[in-house]
Amino acid sequence: MRRTSVIRPPTLTAANLPQDLAKLAQYRDLLYTLSIHRIKVRYKQSVLGICWALLQPLSMMLIFTFIFSYIAGIKSEGTPYAIFAYTALLPWNYFSSAVSNATNSLVSHSQFVTKVYFPREILPITYVVAALFDFLVAATLLGGLMIYYHVRPTLNALYAIPIILILSCFALAMSFFLSATQVRIRDIGVAVPLLLQLWMFATPVIYPLTAVPRRLQPYYELNPMVGVIENFRQVILHGQAPEFRSLVIAVVISLVLLFVSYLYFKRVEATMADII
Amino acid sequence: MIDLTFDRVGKKYRIYRQSEQNRAPALVRKARELMTGWQDFWALKDVSFQIERGEAVGIIGHNGAGKSTILKLLYNITAPSRGEIRINGRLAALIEVASGFHPELTGRENVYLNGSLLGMKRREITQKLDSIVGFAGVAQFIDTPVKRYSSGMYLRLGFAIAAHLDPDVLLLDEVLAVGDAEFQAKCIERINQLKRNGKTIVFVSHNLAAVESLCDRVFLLRQGELYSTGPPRQVISEYERLLAEMPAAAKLSSVTAARAAEIVSVSIFNAAGRRTTTVATGDAMRAEVEYKVHEPVADAVIELYFYSIFGNLHCHFSTEVKGEHLRLAAGHGVIEFHCPEVLLEVASFNIEASIKHRGSAFSEHIDYKQAAFLNIGQGKPVHGMFYMPHSFTQKAVGVQQEIDS
Repeated sequence: MRRTSVIRPPTLTAANLPQDLAKLAQYRDLLYTLSIHRIKVRYKQSVLGICWALLQPLSMMLIFTFIFSYIAGIKSEGTPYAIFAYTALLPWNYFSSAVSNATNSLVSHSQFVTKVYFPREILPITYVVAALFDFLVAATLLGGLMIYYHVRPTLNALYAIPIILILSCFALAMSFFLSATQVRIRDIGVAVPLLLQLWMFATPVIYPLTAVPRRLQPYYELNPMVGVIENFRQVILHGQAPEFRSLVIAVVISLVLLFVSYLYFKRVEATMADII
Repeated sequence: MIDLTFDRVGKKYRIYRQSEQNRAPALVRKARELMTGWQDFWALKDVSFQIERGEAVGIIGHNGAGKSTILKLLYNITAPSRGEIRINGRLAALIEVASGFHPELTGRENVYLNGSLLGMKRREITQKLDSIVGFAGVAQFIDTPVKRYSSGMYLRLGFAIAAHLDPDVLLLDEVLAVGDAEFQAKCIERINQLKRNGKTIVFVSHNLAAVESLCDRVFLLRQGELYSTGPPRQVISEYERLLAEMPAAAKLSSVTAARAAEIVSVSIFNAAGRRTTTVATGDAMRAEVEYKVHEPVADAVIELYFYSIFGNLHCHFSTEVKGEHLRLAAGHGVIEFHCPEVLLEVASFNIEASIKHRGSAFSEHIDYKQAAFLNIGQGKPVHGMFYMPHSFTQKAVGVQQEIDS
């Protein structure tokens, strides 16, 4: 059965959303192949291979433990600082490497974009998938740390799954927005690493949420990463149910941004090849 | 049954100029450039046509006439600014996508990567893998990283993948420029096979001979408009007439500044002395460069450069090969280059002409412009890059043979 496709001048509208998502589903094999390829290429020629996914958060944990706990004496809510920091670094690194790699995904694949048609959002998505893979590898070390520090997980640890799902939505939203903007304004590529560094300090990664002054907290929690990181730590380390208020804020902001940034991405996509 | 429809399609590009206020800070300059420093350029203006199922249509025209814009729009690489395009069925482009290869991955992994990039399913690729590898002739190296491939293997593999797509509508873009003669023959056979199977084909090319042999109908584009359509022979001769008139257009394209001399036109004549745009490999050819001199030039050099459609310089004619002196007096004049035997392969060339002072750098020419267009047709057989004049004799080597056997 032949399908008739109609191409019209681009507009910023949600009317094409079902069609765009159908196209994306049609190209799922490309999404799969490219994601596998991303992961393979990253580790193919390195001697330590997959260990790099562990080494990065591990070395950050050691440095942070030394600086912030040993030298600066930051409190870590009764858990050893090393595991306290690692539990937050894990989702943070996932977010940070997903966004920073995805931002360049379109520009670095300009030879694809100008030659072949495929739903362009696949490019940023594959970087998010590859970062998720690294996250899962690094998560095994968290298991090791929990055994070492005698942290007993409860059933509440299962909340980590929806929390990571929310985080993925937010990472996708940022990736769509930044990669599409990067096509026209190349400064984005330089600005993003800096932005992510500042952002980490605006998120309870190296310090607990309780260290933030109470009157600032309502504004502080508008950062969706606060709800994600703090609750991830809460359900894993403390075995408690998540704190729903900050989680709901994260869900709402992530989903709204994902919707808007996807529409924006598809609008930019239409004439991307002309300016890339 | 209509497979492709263009309904008053227009495509606008925005051309940014570097702004001239160089003393303004970079940020201000950039902002000004983004806001006002651009011009609209319509690469396609109100183009409408319909293509029937099973039809093979060739699109020809000068560089910049809008041919590749039509391909890009059909292939959904970029969206139109106006109008509507309707495509009935699965569309694929037979283009070389080897640039999408990842050097670290093996041939096999790259086939999967590129195949899915072109919209194939993994299952489909697995089924066709042997055939793709056979077509490209790289069976022995399929598990070798492609960074160890020769450039020929690279291109052949990239093309072989595209050749295994099974579309309803096929786009072709200068396909005949890939690989050696043997591989090209395979590609042409594949295209003919698709045509026999009733696929709709859109072929964009500078190679008029190929267009004529493949297509049922030809569209001639001129400055973004559909100038004429009809049977191949008729439209191609119309195009050749346009090309012959081209100097007028070329004159417009040259920068009009006060210069000592300028190129007026370049014309090509065949062995019979008739003006043409097509000569066959092995034929004689004469090129006439007409120039106009405003201030006498004591020691000038006039040259013609033959560029392939990919922008590679293939050869040149020059008035200073043996150090000859050329004095240009004020007024009109003509330089004739005589070529006893054209040795170029079957392809199309842009001819660019220059006048300069002897010994001056290329960029300091007095005048330089794209001046003509040359199509090389089938003549003496060329395998490789060009025809090398040769002959052979046979000698008896009886004694030698006895010793050998």
